[in-house]
Amino acid sequence: MRNGFKAALLGTLAAGFLAGVGHAQSQPATPAGYQGAPRTELFNPALTTCIRDTSKYKKAPPYTIGFSNAGLGDSWRVVALDELKQGAEDHKDVIKKLIITDAGHDDAKQVSDVQDLASQGVDLMIVSANTEKALDPIVTRVMRQGIPVIMLDRRISSDHFVTYINASDPMMGRLWAQWIVEKLHGKGNVVLLGGQAGSSPSENRMNPAKEIFAQYPGIHILDTVYSDWSPVKGKQVMQAVIAKYGHKIDAVWSAHGLQVPGSIEAFVEAGFKPGEIPMHTTADVNGPLLEAIKYKVPMLEISDPPSQYRTAIDVALKVLSGAAVPCTYTVNSQISVTPGDETPSIKSDVPFDSLGLPDKPSNYLVTNDLGPTYDPTTAHTQYPH
Amino acid sequence: MSITATTALPRNRARRLPEQVLRLGIVVLLIVVITVLGCLVSDRFGTLNNFLNVYEQSTDLALVALGQTLTILTGGIDLSVGSMISLLSVLTSGIINSNGDLVLPVCAGIIVLGMVIGLINGIAIVMLRVHPLIVTLGTGAVLQGLALLYTMAPAGGVPDGFDFLAYGRIADISVGATIVLLVYLLASFLMRRTATGRNIYAIGDDRHAAVLLGLPVKRLTMLVYTLSGLLCAMTAIYLVARFGSGQPYAGANYTLASVTPVVVGGTMLSGGRGGVIGTLLGAYLIALLNDFLNFLHVSTEIQLVVQGLIIMLAVSAYREGKRG
Repeated sequence: MRNGFKAALLGTLAAGFLAGVGHAQSQPATPAGYQGAPRTELFNPALTTCIRDTSKYKKAPPYTIGFSNAGLGDSWRVVALDELKQGAEDHKDVIKKLIITDAGHDDAKQVSDVQDLASQGVDLMIVSANTEKALDPIVTRVMRQGIPVIMLDRRISSDHFVTYINASDPMMGRLWAQWIVEKLHGKGNVVLLGGQAGSSPSENRMNPAKEIFAQYPGIHILDTVYSDWSPVKGKQVMQAVIAKYGHKIDAVWSAHGLQVPGSIEAFVEAGFKPGEIPMHTTADVNGPLLEAIKYKVPMLEISDPPSQYRTAIDVALKVLSGAAVPCTYTVNSQISVTPGDETPSIKSDVPFDSLGLPDKPSNYLVTNDLGPTYDPTTAHTQYPH
Repeated sequence: MSITATTALPRNRARRLPEQVLRLGIVVLLIVVITVLGCLVSDRFGTLNNFLNVYEQSTDLALVALGQTLTILTGGIDLSVGSMISLLSVLTSGIINSNGDLVLPVCAGIIVLGMVIGLINGIAIVMLRVHPLIVTLGTGAVLQGLALLYTMAPAGGVPDGFDFLAYGRIADISVGATIVLLVYLLASFLMRRTATGRNIYAIGDDRHAAVLLGLPVKRLTMLVYTLSGLLCAMTAIYLVARFGSGQPYAGANYTLASVTPVVVGGTMLSGGRGGVIGTLLGAYLIALLNDFLNFLHVSTEIQLVVQGLIIMLAVSAYREGKRG
């Protein structure tokens, strides 16, 4: 009975938390679609939700928050970092300092960065892990020291953290795979175009996708290649795949949109005419959305909003106030599919042709919520430091 | 001729003693300057805990740079170190695969494999008479390819307790970093006090003269690359302990990074001059600099620029001293 009461209390706190971390000041660059509670929470088949008691981390403000970034290097991470800075700026009344380190996608440096942040006496640490296994030992140690750690967008392999904020990588991976299966009526050849090998967004999208594909004996995975989230490398690896398999390729499952322009360019240069380029999956990036229309490429876009970085600041303040938080916090992903390509499982939240922004560059993130005038190449987002 | 050459070597070494003092003095000075600046920037920089962290963070770079110092002292270079670390790290965790019974035999096997790869480098350099830069660049490409053929993603794992090598502390002092310190002290002793050590210097100083003197140039060349392979294997095992798994690109950054502490520590890229203690201080300097720049909250791009400037400052200061 007491446990039931406790669960109900925690559930109420969690519901309040979920409602409280909305983005009152957010201004999406493209039309907003689904605005409800995170679907992964609502559709979660488990009878209970994992809720973390953070009362032991309760502290009085002002706070020093450390952020250990895996690195920049692609447009998504540049925008996401600006979202984080904006989040800290929005709460500068209670955040004294936001210390940001950048590991340049080097595991060894990020391990040292985490140690350095702990040395600097941060009250809470936000970590976006370069690779999920390599950062596990040090994050586990920091938690043991009593510093609460929030994993952001890239997690570690164990559960030794307070909460993990992301856009549900497994959901994205499964939906992309299910759409391909249904579009191909269960028969066809698929190429998996991953991001950075070993990074959790890539692996945690690809592995659930493979599980979906494995349920359909008619689906054959021709090849698995990695793009390092780069359109340039994406093009290189897809050129090799196209040279090997040519028109046998029926679909390209891509772990994000960053590498998709390179893939489509490789098909165009290989002589594929509009309407011949196989279906692609994508996320966030402007270029593929425009190219899908131009080259008549069937495409499913599921957003991975960089605003989750701003959400991380809200969640950090919740943790430092001692409020209970869910063990995993998912931000909503918008779903959009090219006209005529909806399937029984996949329906659009927003019209596909309203997403692409012709006046913005190919690598622009249409899912940023920093306002219509935001330009990542010129923005100097202020933050307390 | 032989008599002339043998009497010339000690005289050169006597002349170079002030150079060595100057070299080490510059690195120590830079360490002191960064420490003072760090203490001015933050009251937490000067804490014992922070210095112990820096000591621990120097371990991997110091290990791989020791092997690089030996190859550079002979007038060569080993550009396969990064790929070798990558391959050996994925093999270590991939084969152990969290099975505690396999830890010792696999680690022993990896160390032997590292030495064999290093020996192959040495044999190729001696037999083909191709510059080490070209040979090791080639073997590096082969080794990276093998690592990726083995796995495209982090492989396997290690049992609980294996991370003691990387994170373990006794009396709050890093075990791994202390083992490396002892290895350096042993290497320094061997380089200074044994004929083999002195002959390694002689080869880098003047290979032709070393041949004329009848020194075992080929054998020593093979030895230093074998030792470089051994130290790469130790670095790979250390990284597996630090990361909990092997990564196919774990060593990618070490190829050029391993040269930095060697050069900053005063070893000449042309060979024959320098020493391992300078390299150790160079590794401490790099770790301290990274820590200091994190305390300054500067971006990675600026960190790279500052690191480059420090290297140029150290090298140019040494060259100025040499002219004087």
